[in-house]
Amino acid sequence: MKRKITLVFLLLFVSMTCLVKAQSLKISGKVTDENGETLPGVSVKVKGTSNGTQTDLNGMYSVQAPKGATLVFSYLGYDSKEVTVADQLLINVSLKPNINNLNEVVVVGYGTQKVTKVSGAISTVKQADIQKLNPVRAEDAIQGRASGVTVISTGSPGAKPTVLIRGIPSYTGTDPVVVVDGSIQTLDDLNSIPASDIESINILKDAATTAIYGVKGGNGVILVTTKSGKKNGKTEFSYGGTYGQQEVMNTIGVLNASEYAGIVNEGSLASGGNIIFPDISTLGVGTNWQNQIFKKPVTQTHSLTARGGSDKMTYFVSAAYLGQGGIVGGGSKSYFNRSNGTVNLDFDLTPKLKFIANTSFVNIKGAGVPENSINSVISNALNFDPTVPIYNNIPNTYGLYSVSNNILSEIYNPLTQLADTHNESNTNKLYGKLELQYNILKNLKITSRYGYTNTDVTGKSFTPLSYYGAAHINSTLNADGTPKAGAHNSVYQYKTTYYNFTFEQFGNYNFKINEDHNFEAMLGFSIAKNTGNSINGSRQDVPFNSWDYADITAATGTAPNSGISLGDFRYETRNLSYFGRLNYDYKGKYLASFSMRRDGSSNFGANNKFGNFYAGSLGWVVSDEKFFKSDVINFLKIRGSYGITGNDNTQRQFQRISTAIYSYGLGQNAGYTFGDNPTSIGATVASYKNDNLKWERDKQLNAGLDIQLFDGLLNFSGDYFEKRTDGLLFYPSLSLYLGTAQVPSANVGNVKASGVDLNLGLTKSFSDNFKLNSSISFSKAKNLVTKTDVNGLQGGNFGIPSYNLTRFEQGYSPGYFYGYQTAGLFQNYTEIQSSPTQPNAQPGDIKFADINGDGVINDQDRTKIGDPFPKFTMGYNLGFSYKNFDFNTFWYASVGNDVYRAYERNLAMTNKFRGVLARWTGEGTTNDPRNPRFSFTDGNNNTRPSDRYVEDGTFLKIKDVQVGYTFPTSLLKSKVISRLRLFAQVKNAYTFTKYQGFDPEISGGILNSGIDRGAYPQARTFLFGLNMNF
Amino acid sequence: MKNTRNIIGFMLVIAMTTSCKKFVDYSPKEDYQITADDYLQSQDDYQKMVVGCYSPMQWIWANRVIGDVASDNSVSGGENATDQIGFQQIDDYQITPVNSYLTEAWKSCYEGINRVNYLEENKGKLDFTGKDALYGQIYFLRAYYYFQLVRMFGDVPLFTDHRLSVADSRTLTRSPKADVYTQIETDLNNAIAVLPLTNPEKGRVTKYAAQALLGKVLLYEGKFDAAAAMLENVIAGPFDLVPNFGDIFLQTGENGPESVFEVQYSNLSPFYDWSNPGRGQGNLMVQVCGIRNLTGSSPYGQGWSSNLPTQDLANAYQAGDTRKEVTILDIEAYKAAHPEYNITYLVAPYKNTGLYDQKYLPRKGETSGQVELNYLINYRDIRFADVLLMAAEAYNRSSTPNDSKAQTYLNRVRQRAFGDNAHDITATGSALTQAIWKERRLELAMEGDRFFDLVRTGQAATTIEGFEAGKNEVFPIPQEEVDISGLTQNPGY
Repeated sequence: MKRKITLVFLLLFVSMTCLVKAQSLKISGKVTDENGETLPGVSVKVKGTSNGTQTDLNGMYSVQAPKGATLVFSYLGYDSKEVTVADQLLINVSLKPNINNLNEVVVVGYGTQKVTKVSGAISTVKQADIQKLNPVRAEDAIQGRASGVTVISTGSPGAKPTVLIRGIPSYTGTDPVVVVDGSIQTLDDLNSIPASDIESINILKDAATTAIYGVKGGNGVILVTTKSGKKNGKTEFSYGGTYGQQEVMNTIGVLNASEYAGIVNEGSLASGGNIIFPDISTLGVGTNWQNQIFKKPVTQTHSLTARGGSDKMTYFVSAAYLGQGGIVGGGSKSYFNRSNGTVNLDFDLTPKLKFIANTSFVNIKGAGVPENSINSVISNALNFDPTVPIYNNIPNTYGLYSVSNNILSEIYNPLTQLADTHNESNTNKLYGKLELQYNILKNLKITSRYGYTNTDVTGKSFTPLSYYGAAHINSTLNADGTPKAGAHNSVYQYKTTYYNFTFEQFGNYNFKINEDHNFEAMLGFSIAKNTGNSINGSRQDVPFNSWDYADITAATGTAPNSGISLGDFRYETRNLSYFGRLNYDYKGKYLASFSMRRDGSSNFGANNKFGNFYAGSLGWVVSDEKFFKSDVINFLKIRGSYGITGNDNTQRQFQRISTAIYSYGLGQNAGYTFGDNPTSIGATVASYKNDNLKWERDKQLNAGLDIQLFDGLLNFSGDYFEKRTDGLLFYPSLSLYLGTAQVPSANVGNVKASGVDLNLGLTKSFSDNFKLNSSISFSKAKNLVTKTDVNGLQGGNFGIPSYNLTRFEQGYSPGYFYGYQTAGLFQNYTEIQSSPTQPNAQPGDIKFADINGDGVINDQDRTKIGDPFPKFTMGYNLGFSYKNFDFNTFWYASVGNDVYRAYERNLAMTNKFRGVLARWTGEGTTNDPRNPRFSFTDGNNNTRPSDRYVEDGTFLKIKDVQVGYTFPTSLLKSKVISRLRLFAQVKNAYTFTKYQGFDPEISGGILNSGIDRGAYPQARTFLFGLNMNF
Repeated sequence: MKNTRNIIGFMLVIAMTTSCKKFVDYSPKEDYQITADDYLQSQDDYQKMVVGCYSPMQWIWANRVIGDVASDNSVSGGENATDQIGFQQIDDYQITPVNSYLTEAWKSCYEGINRVNYLEENKGKLDFTGKDALYGQIYFLRAYYYFQLVRMFGDVPLFTDHRLSVADSRTLTRSPKADVYTQIETDLNNAIAVLPLTNPEKGRVTKYAAQALLGKVLLYEGKFDAAAAMLENVIAGPFDLVPNFGDIFLQTGENGPESVFEVQYSNLSPFYDWSNPGRGQGNLMVQVCGIRNLTGSSPYGQGWSSNLPTQDLANAYQAGDTRKEVTILDIEAYKAAHPEYNITYLVAPYKNTGLYDQKYLPRKGETSGQVELNYLINYRDIRFADVLLMAAEAYNRSSTPNDSKAQTYLNRVRQRAFGDNAHDITATGSALTQAIWKERRLELAMEGDRFFDLVRTGQAATTIEGFEAGKNEVFPIPQEEVDISGLTQNPGY
């Protein structure tokens, strides 16, 4: 059969060439892109005939055409070009990429769609933008570029940011699902994909596009498409590399030694104590510990890729390395080093059967320091005693670094802490997919896909015996370096394996009725399994108290009381789903789509094993109407959608019997120690179960508009959405007389979010030498918790004793700051007496607002004092190129996000912050509630959570500035190198903000975002790099 | 041909989708979880469950602090006005229903009761020898928890037949105090009927412990005749006063000849959980009472300078009373007396009295792991001296008073304290009652009973500054419980 067809074609071809031969010229030439790179596979046709050819691997073609005929050169993604044949026999053509992107195809769940036919809401970030940024994680490239997505980054190398697509649907489990080439992964997995492998990132935002992912779609979907090869192409190699240095962007104003001593003396006197530093004059400026902990570590990336193919197969292979040291403590204490290898292969096994194998291997080595907590290195550096020198100068005492005799608990020398911080982790991950596509008919395709991720993580940490001072409560060594009685060092090791797979089988059937009615149907089912299991152990008494020997093998601890301990965890969740979608359009002008999914999960309660999710959308391409005539608007589409998706952050249900001596976190203790006997194991009912437990449900309405003006010069896309989440999981407040067994979660709460996503892009070539592109994205989401359990949820713990700062509560925005409102300072006793009763207040103390008006300041007067989430975020990109130079900059703004300064410890002897210099010192000195009097005793509790510590964290960050130079081919004079670009880049060049701390961008999910407990600030990075194609 | 293939394919899909439904079923066995459905199949399961019923006694360490802080014996101390705010409120008599220690007491006692009730519910599931005696232990424990609740809160929800489930939430109301006391008596009498006189495992509930607790309960109920008779059983038992008062409170003195019932604490299984710091095997009360930032080579360790004895308590001891130094450590005097220890410490930053609870001070080497949370010192709950004093009071106040017996018991305690007979009490009648009550304070100070004794004997309003009669006899029901369960609040709160 196949042979017959070939023969017929051959005959036809031969006969045609014979026909035209008489009067035609043989024209040949080379087709290149605007950079002079050859383009293979460009179609070259003689207009008005069926005569034509394609360019070969070197971009060369030759075709027979009569004089006066028109040659049409066309290539996907490029503007077609027409050239009239005159006398010349050599016609070289350069094609320009088309800026009017109306022919683009966008990846959606279980298929692709022509961009003009999409009636849902999708944001796209393209490869060029991603690659240019040189991001560590793919989310860095989404921030500010994809409208509708809020990314709150963290400075810790490789750490996961908070990503919110269209508002805050819940208080936990808000991560969007990540789909890499069709295989379902999680946001955590985005640390593994090098930028050089990514072809595009599409973010599915509305129900119309996410309902096909059902119970996983509720938080939005990030679709990552990696690169694949090209048929019949010459192998394209490319190398990209960067090398640079990082530094902290700013430091926080703390007191120097003399100022500190002065304040401490004042505080001690005010509380009836003695002068602590009798002679301040000898102290000088002392030590600013911030300068000691921040380093300037190196960061580098390298990637080498090759892509190409024959007529039966294509390939994309890549190898990449990324190394990032952390600025806190330098590259030896915190780092993120990633090595990748990817092989993406497509085979045409038969003309109808295609086999795709994508395989990636990743190795990640990492280490970290304590961060964003009361015992973080930064918190210690900010609060530690400035009067002591850096190094230990007390003869015959243990330790390299100094100790403080003033601070004897909780806070210690950050350098000692860094020196005593030892940990490492090693991740090996293999992920990818195996896929068969079978084209039963021309328009009916069956796809079987097996996507998998196998992750092995091993790691260890070592807690050595430490010396923070003879009287320091946390010292486990005596001053002479001998261990304190009963103190042991310990090493902890773990090994965890995660294995996830999704097997999906679906068919796509595209058909037309009467030419104008186009249908795209898809139907399928999937099974998925996510598993994790881990074993961990710790052992005391590591020889020589040294990281070199920190391993369970070498440790010698045998004592029954935790000389050795073992632990493990495991989980497995299984999903079974059926899904389908029908897209319809009439002449590409009237669009409609309906999709649905039925999801079953082993995590759901026995009475609710399956949930149904569905969505529909409509679109109207107004610009295709006959009545629509505009020279300005060349494309206009109006679209709307409504649908239901879910969120399956549920737990497996059972009534557990605990036989553990302790259950950490739950406060369940079922052991008892009778006399001198060993602890007796006890048992107790530790939890209840809820058989009715089900998914959280998101109902989302979307209305949007896409406009293109001036043939692609301006592109605008805008969406309005309303999202209502119900059945939010809560641990309901049950009667306390039920005891302390773990209460099962129940579907209790509701949340409402609404907002707009806008995107405006401008692309303009003023001449061949000067090109400009610019874009603005705008994302706004307003969130309101409309129903919770009686008390809602509290979180955001900080401090000792611990305070809850954030709440998730009915009638408020999610994760808002909760505390007292200040109303100035008490200037004198009369004012105290005439104000609502505030126990123990003295002049100079903070006056708190009597919110409930009962005349007494107490817990009931706490109220909303801030919102950690931005009112809106914006991204602005500007890029232009002039001749061989290119310039690019990207700015990101977050407006209205509040930050709570929780890093200020405010204990008697801890270091203070510069605000204290403006403190109240007598009647009339100040009424600023941020600066009350200073005393060791704080009967008024001036340090309680209040707006004293809340700041507007609005910021504008220059995230990226880049200047590049591309060597002209003439200068390169190389047959090997086809393109060479050198560039210099500054990431996080500058932050405009009023926030006093390091970085107002503080990631922490819903209940911990915006609380600065000494968060790891993002580094300013100076990079040099090169891109090379050959 | 093509059709056949399609049909096969179609059938395959149907087959998969129907058989697959099981794929999302879940059994806890997959996660190696023991569930309530699988448990209580063997004697060992029952014994483990009984052990679990003891645990919540360890969690209510704060009740013993409250017993003194709420009285004239001690002040809350701490780092500042908001440190240990629950104790501050109680000390200052600005008690609100939002008090973490009261909530913890409420929750912990009810957890204990629910644990007991679970066994009660499953009593018929399995028979084995020794089951009755085993149940004797848990009936004692249920009585213990209800007694804690009733003397702190008055009327409380009462349930005994099953462990409450989610469905029982918000369904109960407060039962009258009298009903709760009746149930306590029933439980203790049932326990006494089956418990052995001794148990080789120290800290296990014995018949004597049950009799002593019942004697105490009867005293609280004003049933002095019954109390005297009940306590007489214990006095006839194998107990004796430890000659040197101070020895009782050392580690070596734990579960000694004077110990009738002790809540066991241990440092053998160190606990690390700061989210529920008092729910381990260690006695957090010890850490709370300790001297702040103490250094030097004294036997004492550091703590949080709370529950500081008052000068009033110190002054209450007569010269020659050996109990004073055991009960109260005057840190400055101690420092001066022991220059060789090189003691430094931070003066209690808030409500300093310069005095510390010597009976429960942290001592070096008696903790492990997270040092604050794992002090091994047992709580001396019912000492023989207490039994003697209770019996003395019962005889003195009985319908047919026996003051000579009362004097004998009282003076036994005093003779140990002074080491002579010269301080014996010869008073009778209400003067003797006063002497016994005074003796209870001196003997049992900082052991957590003073406040309840003052309320029980009607002396609270006259003795405690800030105490409001008709209100402060009981603490407020935790606000959370009022909000959730709709329980009525105690008057005045």
